[in-house]
Amino acid sequence: MEELMWQTQERWFVFLEKLETRMGEMCTAAIPELKEIFKADQDPYKRAHSRMLAGLLGQIRRMQDQANEVKEDRILGLIYSLGVLTSNDFREACFNRHYAFEKRCHDYTSLLQKAAGQEDLEAFYQEQLASFALIKDRFTCKQCGGKITVSKMFFIATYVTCSYCQTQNTFLPSSGAQMVLHKARSLAEQRTAHLLKAYEERESKDPDLYQQYLRAMFDEWNKITPDMEEENEKFYLRLLKDKSINHL
Amino acid sequence: MSENQLLEPIHGISLEDYSAACAKLGSGLSEEAIAKALGVELPVWQEANLLWPERMKQDQTFEIVTLFGQYFAQAGQHPKFSNAVTGAAEDAGYTAQIKTDKDFYQELEVARNVAYEYGMDGAQWIADKYGITLGDFQIAASKWNAQIHTDIQADFQGYTQKQDAYNAKYRQLFASAQGGNVADDITF
Amino acid sequence: MPEEEKKKTLSYVEKLKQQALSQQNYGGEVVDKAAQMEIRDCPNCGAGRAYQDGLTNCAYCGFSFMDIKLTDGIHIKKDNNS
Repeated sequence: MEELMWQTQERWFVFLEKLETRMGEMCTAAIPELKEIFKADQDPYKRAHSRMLAGLLGQIRRMQDQANEVKEDRILGLIYSLGVLTSNDFREACFNRHYAFEKRCHDYTSLLQKAAGQEDLEAFYQEQLASFALIKDRFTCKQCGGKITVSKMFFIATYVTCSYCQTQNTFLPSSGAQMVLHKARSLAEQRTAHLLKAYEERESKDPDLYQQYLRAMFDEWNKITPDMEEENEKFYLRLLKDKSINHL
Repeated sequence: MSENQLLEPIHGISLEDYSAACAKLGSGLSEEAIAKALGVELPVWQEANLLWPERMKQDQTFEIVTLFGQYFAQAGQHPKFSNAVTGAAEDAGYTAQIKTDKDFYQELEVARNVAYEYGMDGAQWIADKYGITLGDFQIAASKWNAQIHTDIQADFQGYTQKQDAYNAKYRQLFASAQGGNVADDITF
Repeated sequence: MPEEEKKKTLSYVEKLKQQALSQQNYGGEVVDKAAQMEIRDCPNCGAGRAYQDGLTNCAYCGFSFMDIKLTDGIHIKKDNNS
């Protein structure tokens, strides 16, 4: 009986180690590819990268399933059949090894998730500002031909009045400018990530630090899309309210 | 009647209009076509399209989100979109089935998620294989979600067994299309 | 045969990458459109829409551009009703 437990434990260890090795090989091979695909992906939502990442994470999950199945059949199976005769050492060693395996899966998962890094939203935003500066004086009124200067960067279709004939023209922003609206919050979060980190790193969570972060994030957000400030502020108040309720 | 002021129409576009419009956008209707069906111009639609989600974010009662889901599920009956059909005949074949056959929806929901796990765009896979658009899939989801929730509470085991069977089926399907999983050769 | 296994893993990753790249994004690719200016004249009488006459009806023939009531939005306000 001792022998059986010992053998099972050995095989369990070897099995998990093999899975870990394979997982390591897969991740080592995948990380440079993930970086490359992220950089090359022209899609604003980086969906080719997301698909590849999801596929890799799916494979890690399959390996976890494999381990769980074996644990169920061979380890727990043996424990049940031996009943009180199961040695505590065996039980503990097998469970600890599985715990270590799960931790490995978790580490590889976050390694893959972080491999490509963050999109440089600041660079994207600056690019959009520059291209808007280039085009803002280049429009003419479709009614009278008078020159129209687009007064500020718009992110959605907007009526613009011709200063000569007062006709309402419709200005349709570029796809890039429209995308700024969708990425504004993420950019604001990137700009204020150090404040969120300061809050999260503290052992005891200080609500004042969180509020400092949140205020700074919304200030940046409003700077990027000033037209949305009124709406953003309402949302800010709601978040504060939720937070204070959670702290009660 | 509801007292919630956040339910007031935005530029004449009611929450019902907006919810149906979102469903139609998901089925591939363009923003221009949406605006036209609602009888407004693009700038008006785009403002409403920005402001309705803002109201949802502000609404602590969750009333707007709840109603949005209900109206979304009924998008097919919205009179303003009855003429704005997107290409293929609507609600025939699989598109009709997913809205009337709960098991079919649940199976495809699993298939879609497993597709993502195998590096495929699940929404595209459903569209390619069954001709069901994302919008129609989401309509089916909002239609069935409450009932599935009740099913889970009534018979959790039955629900899980079914899900497990679907998962096994589609994991095998997608894995074999890729020549197996990366660690299939590793055994105990 | 660890070398052979490694090769298999590499080719699996490569396959996954090719599959990710070759798939069409749902709804097609996002087209990069430049900014544009457009106008909508009255289809009934051909008149333009002047700012002071509002956006919803033609000031000359009464044609209804939009059969709705504008509220206070982001750029469009109640005042823009004809």
